[in-house]
Amino acid sequence: MTTYIIRRLLLLPFLLFGVTVIIFGMLQFLSPVERSALYVREIPHTEGAVEGIIKRYGLDKPIYVQYWYWLVGRIDPVTGGRVGGILRGDLGYSRVGSQPVAKLIAQRFPATAELALWAVVPIIGVGIWLGVQSAVRHNRFFDQVARVFSIVGWSFPTFVFGLLVLMIFYARLRWFPPGRLSDWASAIVNSGQFHQYTHMYTIDALLNLRFDIFWDALKHLILPVMTLSYLNWALLLRVTRSSMLEVLGQDYVRTARAKGLPERLVINRHARPNALIPVVTLAGLMVAGLLGGVVITETVFNYPGIGSAAAQAAIQLDVVTVLGFALFNGTILILANLIVDILYAVIDPRVRLE
Amino acid sequence: MFKKWSIVAIVAVLAALVVTSCKPQVQTVVVTVPGEKVVVTATPAPVGRPSSKDPTTYVVATFGEPETLDPALAYETAGGEILQNIYETLIFYNKGNVNEFIPQLATEWTISEDGKTYTFTIRKGVKFHEGGDLTPEDVAYSFQRGLLQGGTHSPQWLLSEPFFGVGVDDIAIVVEVAQQLGVEAIQDGISGEELAAAPGELYDNTEAMKAVDPAILKGVCEAVKARIVADDAAGTVTFHLNQPWGPFLATIAQTWGSAMDKEWVIEKGGWDGSCDTWANYYGMASENDPFTPIANGTGPFKLDHWTPGQEIVLVRNENYWRTEPAWEGGPAGPAKLERVVIKKVDEWGTRFAMFQAGDADWVAVNRQDVGQVDPLVGEKCVWNSEKIAFDCEVVGDGPFRLYIGFPTISRTDVFFNFSINVPEGGNPFVGSGKLDGNGIPSDFFSDLHIRRAFNYCFDWDTFIQDALVGEGVQSTGLTLPGMIGYDPQGPHYSYDPEKCAEEFKLADVDKDGIPAGEDGDDVWNVGFRMQLAYNTGNVTRQTVAEILASNLSQVNDKFQVEIVGLPWPTFLRNQRARTLPLFISGWLEDIHDPHNWYVPYLTGTYGRRQSLPAEAVAEFQELINKGVMETDPAKRDAIYKELNQKVYDLTPHIILAVATGRRYEQRWVQGWYYNPIYPGQYFYALSEK
Repeated sequence: MTTYIIRRLLLLPFLLFGVTVIIFGMLQFLSPVERSALYVREIPHTEGAVEGIIKRYGLDKPIYVQYWYWLVGRIDPVTGGRVGGILRGDLGYSRVGSQPVAKLIAQRFPATAELALWAVVPIIGVGIWLGVQSAVRHNRFFDQVARVFSIVGWSFPTFVFGLLVLMIFYARLRWFPPGRLSDWASAIVNSGQFHQYTHMYTIDALLNLRFDIFWDALKHLILPVMTLSYLNWALLLRVTRSSMLEVLGQDYVRTARAKGLPERLVINRHARPNALIPVVTLAGLMVAGLLGGVVITETVFNYPGIGSAAAQAAIQLDVVTVLGFALFNGTILILANLIVDILYAVIDPRVRLE
Repeated sequence: MFKKWSIVAIVAVLAALVVTSCKPQVQTVVVTVPGEKVVVTATPAPVGRPSSKDPTTYVVATFGEPETLDPALAYETAGGEILQNIYETLIFYNKGNVNEFIPQLATEWTISEDGKTYTFTIRKGVKFHEGGDLTPEDVAYSFQRGLLQGGTHSPQWLLSEPFFGVGVDDIAIVVEVAQQLGVEAIQDGISGEELAAAPGELYDNTEAMKAVDPAILKGVCEAVKARIVADDAAGTVTFHLNQPWGPFLATIAQTWGSAMDKEWVIEKGGWDGSCDTWANYYGMASENDPFTPIANGTGPFKLDHWTPGQEIVLVRNENYWRTEPAWEGGPAGPAKLERVVIKKVDEWGTRFAMFQAGDADWVAVNRQDVGQVDPLVGEKCVWNSEKIAFDCEVVGDGPFRLYIGFPTISRTDVFFNFSINVPEGGNPFVGSGKLDGNGIPSDFFSDLHIRRAFNYCFDWDTFIQDALVGEGVQSTGLTLPGMIGYDPQGPHYSYDPEKCAEEFKLADVDKDGIPAGEDGDDVWNVGFRMQLAYNTGNVTRQTVAEILASNLSQVNDKFQVEIVGLPWPTFLRNQRARTLPLFISGWLEDIHDPHNWYVPYLTGTYGRRQSLPAEAVAEFQELINKGVMETDPAKRDAIYKELNQKVYDLTPHIILAVATGRRYEQRWVQGWYYNPIYPGQYFYALSEK
């Protein structure tokens, strides 16, 4: 298994290389003037403005030269120093984020991780529970209701559902506000007295013994978690349900029942673990997806995570930022896949990682 | 009978419940109507204005974000708003009056007889937020640094013109003239002929700038320093202009005239003030600029923190120098608000929810969303242009106050391209590129009658109704209503399909000397096809294109105009390549002065892109120069009216309409007034109940 893990990890840089080459390759289709649009927000006053931008950022250089710059950095004409170069650990400067890309990711990721952390339990826990119960009560009232309930959630466009719950629970009832913190809490968190260990506010608040801030941060998480959960349950429900139904029809389940085992044991001990094997893949990808940011949910709830920043960067053709996020997301996805593979080997003795 | 009494009883119980559970001011009236019908009317008395959850904190929810907080570089409104509250300028506007200036960091000023020398006495005892004392040297250094840092994306062109000559839009031009004609040539400013000698290759070219002969760089820097002179002993700063400059005070009242602390700038990695090093800072981009994320001014607010993409927080400057109100009833002493939080909330639905919940005191509302907010307005303040103030009245219980009808300072217009570029491989916007009914020739718009026809075919009323939700006034000149030279009765076009057809018939696109109406192979009989482009998402530009397309096809069904939405990068590329037959673009003034409109439209940004005829540009240039150097308002008015007539005679644009503005705020917000040229809100004047 160790060899397998090492081999997969060694593959990581190659995969990331591939991803970035593809993104750079697509740039080939844009002219230097189009690529300068990132730096020019309105029609410029002076004629030479766009040419100056193109020269400064080397946008007219061949694409492989630009890729090389991105890898090893280039000499900045203003400061004379070498800037950028991911091999030097510099992901470049994000125009859209108004700060270095690495800093942008470091600033946005804790928010996304916190959201994922709080969303995972309801999404996966409830999703699997619903799936198992639906299978057990196959074609009965609960099954029908759960399926309709979840398929409605699945069909809801995120922004419609998000805005709906925002209007109800925030604008009308004033229970759960958007953003990450209330202004009073934000003032405390940004002051010197509050130590930010993880930059995940719920956890930091507990570590600082500030339960008021913990509660405030949690209140801000409820609506996005609710939205993400409801919109994702259907998928988990369906996969768990069908897998569970298949398992329930297997001979060994019948044997277990024939032995006279109580139904609870048959389901929990015999059937469910085996039914969960395909679910693990799906859940793993879902977690990776959550960690990579959820664009629409973040935008609707003004939640400053990775997703909304990446989307902004893509819309404005901020290639450097997009590449930074691609690298980051690629790494997360590959690692998540690796973990799923390892989990497979753990839960299914038939799987051998070689 | 039983039924009736039971209903009355139930209603009475309910009514009692309502009365006891509601706030005392809510009255409930129970009316029993003969028969079996019972009506319950609850008439709430006007609910007292709700008060702010936190009156010490003002929360703004908007979509823009500053690009930089360096006053020398910031050239957009999101950055300007923050800067105007942190930094201060020598002079400021008298409340809402854009043409009247009051002392701020200067206590007084004098202007020499010839209008070329401005001397400001600098206020004593003013401290920067980080503790430094404001000195005349700080002020002079700030202006010198700005001019030398230059860069075409900065506002510095507004200052390089008065200091070095009309048309000098960057320090790069000064360096180039010095390279071509020697440093002596720039001592007396740069004339039109000298300007023509500058190839414009140094613009933003930071590498090339550093490679320029050090003697020339030094000479240019010394020329800058000779124009902006601090006298610490006398406590003054003197500006020596190249020529009299009507809008000079207006120019330095904006954020690019902010005073920075020289020692602090040097300590944080800025220019050290030496003429040997300035080229290292030329063309600074926001990402290399150490002053992009930090600020240290003298203003009523200090920068607490800026988390890009999330929020900017300002806190009150407890030691603010102002002890006397700047105008009658104006604020004095430390600001009433302790904190200002500017949140970046891109999604309108979210902003609206924050506004409804009372968590935002002000939100950015786009014109297409006003219908959602209007039902919640409880107080309406209508602009009264005679009083130059608002008339307010309570219109309901809604939590918001709406200010409406005030004039704005931007406009969208249509620009004709006199010489459309058709690169190899064709230009999809001109179709076949020929006058064959399936395209237009590249000089299509060089025909005056075609330009006039397009004007007559534009329907202003529909435009104002559709694009500006009925809130706008057609412009009768290039500048804004109320400006020197603006005449509401001045020569202008109005919608007239018959005249539109007539003008098309008078055109001679194939240049055979026969008017199109009598010429079988000219535009009236052959027709044309072209594409009109706008950048996707810009609804105003799209509406303009749609109006033109529909009206032209009604005049003659052989006139086909297709509308295409382009992504911003593609739009920008075509705009630059001059492939668009006509383009729709906007202007937001930098300073409230006619010069800031005539230059971009006639000789600058747009004029050049339209390839206007050289002789017309020369005529415009002459009048523009005369106008800006004239300090007598009456003479200036006459010059600009003459210019307006010349513009009308050439008709290089379709001049559209100036919208009137709207502002929504919570009713507990107090103290806002309208100043059109402010980049955003001046939080010092605001408070909450």
